[in-house]
Amino acid sequence: MEVQKEAQRIMTLSVWKMYHSRMQRGGLRLHRSLQLSLVMRSARELYLSAKVEAHEPEVPLLPVRSSDPRLHQLREAEAVSEAAPPDSEPPSPEPMDTREAPRAEETPAPCAPRPSKVSRKRRSSSLSDGGDVGLVPSKKARLEGGEEEGASSEVPDRLQPPPAQAEGAFPNLARVLQRRFSGLLNCSPAAPPTAPPACEAKPACRPADSMLNVLVRAVVAF
Amino acid sequence: MMVKEEKGAGGGNDIQWCFSQVKGAIDDDVAEADIISTVEFNHSGELLATGDKGGRVVIFQQEQENKIQSHSRGEYNVYSTFQSHEPEFDYLKSLEIEEKINKIRWLPQKNAAQFLLSTNDKTIKLWKISERDKRPEGYNLKEEDGRYRDPTTVTTLRVPVFRPMDLMVEASPRRIFANAHTYHINSISINSDYETYLSADDLRINLWHLEITDRSFNIVDIKPANMEELTEVITAAEFHPNSCNTFVYSSSKGTIRLCDMRASALCDRHSKLFEEPEDPSNRSFFSEIISSISDVKFSHSGRYMMTRDYLSVKIWDLNMENRPVETYQVHEYLRSKLCSLYENDCIFDKFECCWNGSDSVVMTGSYNNFFRMFDRNTKRDITLEASRENNKPRTVLKPRKVCASGKRKKDEISVDSLDFNKKILHTAWHPKENIIAVATTNNLYIFQDKVN
Repeated sequence: MEVQKEAQRIMTLSVWKMYHSRMQRGGLRLHRSLQLSLVMRSARELYLSAKVEAHEPEVPLLPVRSSDPRLHQLREAEAVSEAAPPDSEPPSPEPMDTREAPRAEETPAPCAPRPSKVSRKRRSSSLSDGGDVGLVPSKKARLEGGEEEGASSEVPDRLQPPPAQAEGAFPNLARVLQRRFSGLLNCSPAAPPTAPPACEAKPACRPADSMLNVLVRAVVAF
Repeated sequence: MMVKEEKGAGGGNDIQWCFSQVKGAIDDDVAEADIISTVEFNHSGELLATGDKGGRVVIFQQEQENKIQSHSRGEYNVYSTFQSHEPEFDYLKSLEIEEKINKIRWLPQKNAAQFLLSTNDKTIKLWKISERDKRPEGYNLKEEDGRYRDPTTVTTLRVPVFRPMDLMVEASPRRIFANAHTYHINSISINSDYETYLSADDLRINLWHLEITDRSFNIVDIKPANMEELTEVITAAEFHPNSCNTFVYSSSKGTIRLCDMRASALCDRHSKLFEEPEDPSNRSFFSEIISSISDVKFSHSGRYMMTRDYLSVKIWDLNMENRPVETYQVHEYLRSKLCSLYENDCIFDKFECCWNGSDSVVMTGSYNNFFRMFDRNTKRDITLEASRENNKPRTVLKPRKVCASGKRKKDEISVDSLDFNKKILHTAWHPKENIIAVATTNNLYIFQDKVN
């Protein structure tokens, strides 16, 4: 769980750095963009591989600690186990910009196009875990190290912003980014961008959109 | 190429390093334009050039002190300062082009003037630095202040003569090599033929002739047809010191490719590929980005090359491609801190490295204004600090030690108290003597070995 949060935090951080690097003098640095996208890809792989523990109630404002050794351990464990392709995913209510830059560089494996199948599992909204919105495969190989607790994951049936608050100078932007990110992680290329969901405030939507456009232009621009 | 070994020049620990000079502002408030971005000695070591983020080049000259003493150590004083590059704007891409000097490379001296190449992200310039210590006086048609005389007032003729004047050092741009790089230039390297040089950006390497500015040859192009398939970029490139047909370039994946220009016009196919398999026990979340090579330097002999990645320095024998012959850990204690270093962007720092004149010692920088030297013969290493606290001339520098974990001994510094804003990215070693130039953020330190 904590690994998942950490992975998400790093992804958010990477997106922020990518956005920020676009604004720097001298223009976008190709090497830096590449390195950021590599980290983001690793984080996303980690995130996708980690199991969601839905019956562990989400604790808001969980302190996000750097947990490198644990990440390391987890990565090893994950390298050992097979990453089973997810067999279901809920339709994402959030608009999907499928053109985002980092996805362009990833291997197709983790985000292979999937037929949108309705999950056969009953979703328990009371145990929704906002941090895993729209993502989780219901049947996953277990990771070792006691990081997750047993039973198959449950998928929340509606989008919720992850309660884990990003720290830093721009908490609002970080929140937007995290929200954005939850949707972005729903790797369904078939999902066209739809109107923003009601739960997303319009002003918050706009900066994120431009951020995505920036990301799109960032790497593909050359 | 054999370099005369000086007494006591064997190793980082055999010699005692002393503070000599420090250049730059004293106050802690660092102006961004003053941040030093490159340091380079010329071929004789008499001149030391620095480039900064503001596009300026400052050249220091070693004073020729008492030449009778064989181990004289002259001071370096400012010789010339000039604005090499200005900020520019690319209107097509709506991008500002930074004036920061990325690299300076000296040409070997052929006549009284000195020549160097300086580059920013997009444009390389050849500068001529010449001295003027005489000026003509006694013109017939001009007054001394330059005003023209009325020709009707000229009644006698005289021959103008040269009279001594205060030394003036002039820098003038002789060639401007522009518009050849789409991406950001990271390296320039002068060929041993002294007629051509290469410039490398993230995806391409171009070959220039020093006399010709309107064209260059592309010799390496790793740009994929589809940019979405991009997996690595070029991080550094250098010509072999002796073979004019050979050069190497390093990549962000930790590989080095050696290319022979005789093989084909476009050297996309390497002659040799130097790569060390990754140690699986060290594999971590940030493995990929810390394996990126930030600098590659041939030894003076040309037999070896050195690469710097984020945590280590590796020496490669050009005859062995599958692994380096020596590996030195610069700051292994940072391996467990990579996540924090990613957050504060330090993980992207590009450290340089350099050889001493006899190729027996290598040096590179670290954080907290520490720099490290590794003696290849004795296998000993030393950590020193560039700090104004030790700024009395001939003060011997005390070796520093970082405590990675556990109990911190006296005089040791714990990892958590390292200042990651104080980084030494650029260092240079005099080609013949034990004099080193170490650049902190905005100061240039000169150290030399203890002269008895």
